[in-house]
Amino acid sequence: MSQYTVDRNRRYTSDRHSSTGASSHKSRSSSAQHKGTPRKKKFSILSIGKGLDVPFCMLIVLLLAIGITMMFSASYPVAFYEIGDSYYYLKRQLLFAVVGIAIMLAVSYFDYHHFHRFSALILGVSYFALIVVLLIPSETGVKRWIGIGDYGIQASEISKFAIILFLAHWGSRYYDKMHTLKYGVLPGAGVFVSTAILLLLEPHYSCIVIVALLTVIMLFVSGIRLRYLAIAGVILAGAILMLWATGLLTYAMDRMDGWGKALEYIDETQWQQTWQTRNSLYAIGSGGLFGLGLGQSRQKYLYLPEPQNDFVFAIVCEELGLIGAVAVLLVFALLVWRGVVISLRAKDRFGKLLGIGLISQIGLQVILNILVITDWLPNTGISLPFFSYGGSSLLMLLFQMGIILSISRSANIEKI
Amino acid sequence: MSSKQKGANQRLRQRTVWLLIILLAFGFGAVISRLAYLQLIAGEDLQQKAVQQQLSDTTISAKRGTIYDRNGKILAQSASVWQVVLSPANFKTDEQREFVATRLSEILKLDKEDVLEKTKQDSYYTVVKRKIESEEQKQILELMNEVEDKYELSSVIALLDDYKRYYPYSELAASVIGFTGSDDQGLSGVEYQYDEYLTGTPGRLVTATNANGTIMPFDYSQNVDAVDGNSVVLTIDETIQSIIEKHMKQAIEDYSVYNRGVCVAMDVKNGEILGMATIGGYDPNDPFTISREEKKKIDEIDDEYLVKNGYIKENENPTPKEKEEILATAKSEAESAALTKMWRNKAISDTYYPGSVFKMITLSMALEEATINHDTRFVCSGAFQLYDKSIGCHYSAGHGSQTYEQALCNSCNPAFIEIGQSVGEEKFWQYYQSFGFSEKTGIDLPGESDDLFFTEDGSMGPVDLAVASFGQNFSITPIQMVTAASAIANGGHLVQPHVVKQILGIDGSVVQNISTDTKRQVISTAVAKEMCSILEHNAIDGTGKNGYVAGYRIAGKTGTSEKLNDSNGDGVQDYIASYCGFAPADDPQIAMLVFFDTPLSGNYYGSAVAAPVFANIMSEVLPYLELDAQYTEAEAVNVDTTAGTYTGLSVTEASSLVNEGGFNVTVKGEGTTVVAQVPSAGSKIPKGGTVVLYTDETSVTEKVTVPNLIGFGVSDVNYIASQYGLNVSLAGMVSSSDCTSISQDIAEGTTVSPGSVITVTFSSSGVND
Repeated sequence: MSQYTVDRNRRYTSDRHSSTGASSHKSRSSSAQHKGTPRKKKFSILSIGKGLDVPFCMLIVLLLAIGITMMFSASYPVAFYEIGDSYYYLKRQLLFAVVGIAIMLAVSYFDYHHFHRFSALILGVSYFALIVVLLIPSETGVKRWIGIGDYGIQASEISKFAIILFLAHWGSRYYDKMHTLKYGVLPGAGVFVSTAILLLLEPHYSCIVIVALLTVIMLFVSGIRLRYLAIAGVILAGAILMLWATGLLTYAMDRMDGWGKALEYIDETQWQQTWQTRNSLYAIGSGGLFGLGLGQSRQKYLYLPEPQNDFVFAIVCEELGLIGAVAVLLVFALLVWRGVVISLRAKDRFGKLLGIGLISQIGLQVILNILVITDWLPNTGISLPFFSYGGSSLLMLLFQMGIILSISRSANIEKI
Repeated sequence: MSSKQKGANQRLRQRTVWLLIILLAFGFGAVISRLAYLQLIAGEDLQQKAVQQQLSDTTISAKRGTIYDRNGKILAQSASVWQVVLSPANFKTDEQREFVATRLSEILKLDKEDVLEKTKQDSYYTVVKRKIESEEQKQILELMNEVEDKYELSSVIALLDDYKRYYPYSELAASVIGFTGSDDQGLSGVEYQYDEYLTGTPGRLVTATNANGTIMPFDYSQNVDAVDGNSVVLTIDETIQSIIEKHMKQAIEDYSVYNRGVCVAMDVKNGEILGMATIGGYDPNDPFTISREEKKKIDEIDDEYLVKNGYIKENENPTPKEKEEILATAKSEAESAALTKMWRNKAISDTYYPGSVFKMITLSMALEEATINHDTRFVCSGAFQLYDKSIGCHYSAGHGSQTYEQALCNSCNPAFIEIGQSVGEEKFWQYYQSFGFSEKTGIDLPGESDDLFFTEDGSMGPVDLAVASFGQNFSITPIQMVTAASAIANGGHLVQPHVVKQILGIDGSVVQNISTDTKRQVISTAVAKEMCSILEHNAIDGTGKNGYVAGYRIAGKTGTSEKLNDSNGDGVQDYIASYCGFAPADDPQIAMLVFFDTPLSGNYYGSAVAAPVFANIMSEVLPYLELDAQYTEAEAVNVDTTAGTYTGLSVTEASSLVNEGGFNVTVKGEGTTVVAQVPSAGSKIPKGGTVVLYTDETSVTEKVTVPNLIGFGVSDVNYIASQYGLNVSLAGMVSSSDCTSISQDIAEGTTVSPGSVITVTFSSSGVND
């Protein structure tokens, strides 16, 4: 794994080398010097940091630290009342964070180009997972998890990664045909539609939204013609208009757990359904500008159900106030920005696309999560990266961060 | 590097920048602005809502203040009880609900389904039963332990403090004290009038709780202690009130009074009400239960009643089902009417024609205006001819020529028509107003009625003036009459009647003294003094003499007013018999009005019905007020003395002691030591009465049968009683030569021990007013 030779990846060399053209004259010349020479990466403890993007690493660690602290603060009453151990979620999350960081570092050593080859396979695995998950009986009728008990993974986590990977692969492989309908639009649309249908069966609407947005982002940066995006936009607008005209939209919105009306009492069912969102709004509002202080949330005392999961940011807002929330968002923004910088520095188009896709996913999840907890989007289960409790998703997240680090490492090493 | 590659990379770079801008500027921008809106603009409102659900606000009831009589006897008091509260949201299974509902309904004697319904509510607070007492409270505590042991549920049932109102004297002064409702709120009487003082301020226990209702680990609790209510000291004297009610109840029965009776006793100097009774009243401990007689009347509602009261029209023929409904309506209406009537304080809420009692006011006006003098003579021929109308006097033979003093003592209507005419309509209305009849007295009780004069501006025709002179055809309240009489008694000052003397703080300190301001001088002191002596004269040998109390200087006036309607449906016009007077006449302390609405026992005259009751009440109240009796020689003979303690003494010692006390001795038994005596030590025996001393146990069983003592003169009664070995205590009008015994307190045929004291009440016959 530590060996990487041009020969083994001959198929993609032209693509990889092309990426240097856009970065800088300096790197272009250095790249030219190293062209064709085998790059050896000997693993040693001392070289763990070698080539890693330090700001990105620090941002990840910072977010993990804040995230776990806040997750703990949010979860300890629930853990105490429902499980009897205030540290229940903290202990598990810490464990996963440690394992996750190890995985992240390991993956950063792994040459991300290997994913190039396996992208189709991984996409196949994701379809397989999406189908398997439908076959597993579920008590709630919502089928999202593969695995046993606490140790499972959401099939959609694999899907999101698989789609980013596949579209990065496709966008770099056929970079010169991306302006066409056949190569540029149809494969991406096909992957999205097929995945969306499977997700619809789970059902997992919020993930469809994320997958759709990721697809659009990937196709957009891959260089498809904007007119196709415009056409897609027109189709979407038309569909929404039609739904609205036929009254189906209102019906659907009413059905969506009283979305946007968490503070209004319409009937008992709606009131119960919007309980979580309403209490999230209460928590956010209670925070004000400066917050109630770390650990001082009141809404986490069983008012806000599962405060350690999707709604952890509501507790962040309550305890740290608008100032704290904006500070956290700033860190996220820096992470996204840094991720994009890293991606653009990648030597090859695949690395660029993959890094942008992965970092966009973080940005999207942050935005969508907060829109959910503030009742601008229906409450359908979008977790907040680094904050929400959940072993598999944290591992998946850090795994993806590892890939971005791998991209940074490869770019930095090649720079030298 | 191809230009295609370069172009593609450039586009990627450009588009990535756009993506960054969209994500960070629009995405994060939207998110931050949404958060800013929620936290800064909507924040306050949201926080309030959050706090609302986080705070558990428990009301701590304040203890209602006590109501005391003027001597500090407790008339109304709140005692701690409990209320049972459920937190049904804490139940986990239906089995738990079933169990708790079953046990609670057993302990609290409630319907199980109702309780079960409450256990299914999705709330943390629902009251199951209020005002449970310690017996039930203990059982609930046991149940709470049981539930905790069985299901590990500790926060399902709770006992909270509650208070219950007790009225230790039951019916006593109920119409004054009033009663409270289920939420401890005053509903009538002083309880209502002084509710804001008595209620206190409920406290609040505000704690932050989690969604399960247990307290959050925050210093978030706020405890506002309940401030107990102030106490109220009445001007009512429990002893006087008891005396009044005892005699009034007896009279209501004796004279078959149909529409209840009223007695108001007032301190003439400051308007303090010493006693105020409306008989039949109710028990404030149980104010929603109507009397058995009323209940019986309601149960007996039949078709005839329905037709008569307009529930069914004469020729209507309702189906049985309709009729059942109509009957139910009629019954419930009759019941609420009965309740309203029962609660009504007749002394202030009902108006009546004052009748001849009002003559004291008419005469006061004339004397004050000096329209008549000692030389003015009033001739009564038995009727007065006014235009085409003949107004009769109660003494149809006519009183002949009288002075005004004689006219009052005779209660002569024709004479008073002349006196009224001498005053004139204008002055009459003026005095009517200044005596306080045209306005509410402002007594501190709810539900005072207005008077009803001929016209609102006081204008009246000659016939109106004529009948008004002797108190007919205009209505006033009993409290107005007694206040006006007090003005005559106290030297002409109209006082403010009131039932509350003081308001006390929780620590017993005086928070407020109720002012005893005089409203105005109505008549001059000289006229008032003259009126006192005329009225005293009337009580000695005028129509008012049945109100006389031996040893005391009583001033008073009788009244028999025509009600001009027939409430009981016996085909005879109804009357109100009343007596209003004060004592002592030389320095009046207490004024009192006694009136009976519609006595049906035959004699309805104030002199025959109300006066003896007035005298009986005064004869106990005046000594209680520590006013010294001054007996005339004739009266001194009949004065009762207290029997001493003779048991344990030798027969000779005891006999000599008995003789020293002015009593005769009868010794029964063979022993040498007195083992028992009749009457017992401390009881009142008339002078010259007999004390029976028993010297062994066997003799104690000897009994005599009480003879009839009604319908005789004083000497006859004494003679008969002595023949039976009984003692007689004389009550009522005994100094007059024409008095007859009208009642005895121990009925004929009762077996009693020899020497027992029988109280015989006398009344002067031959006065019909």
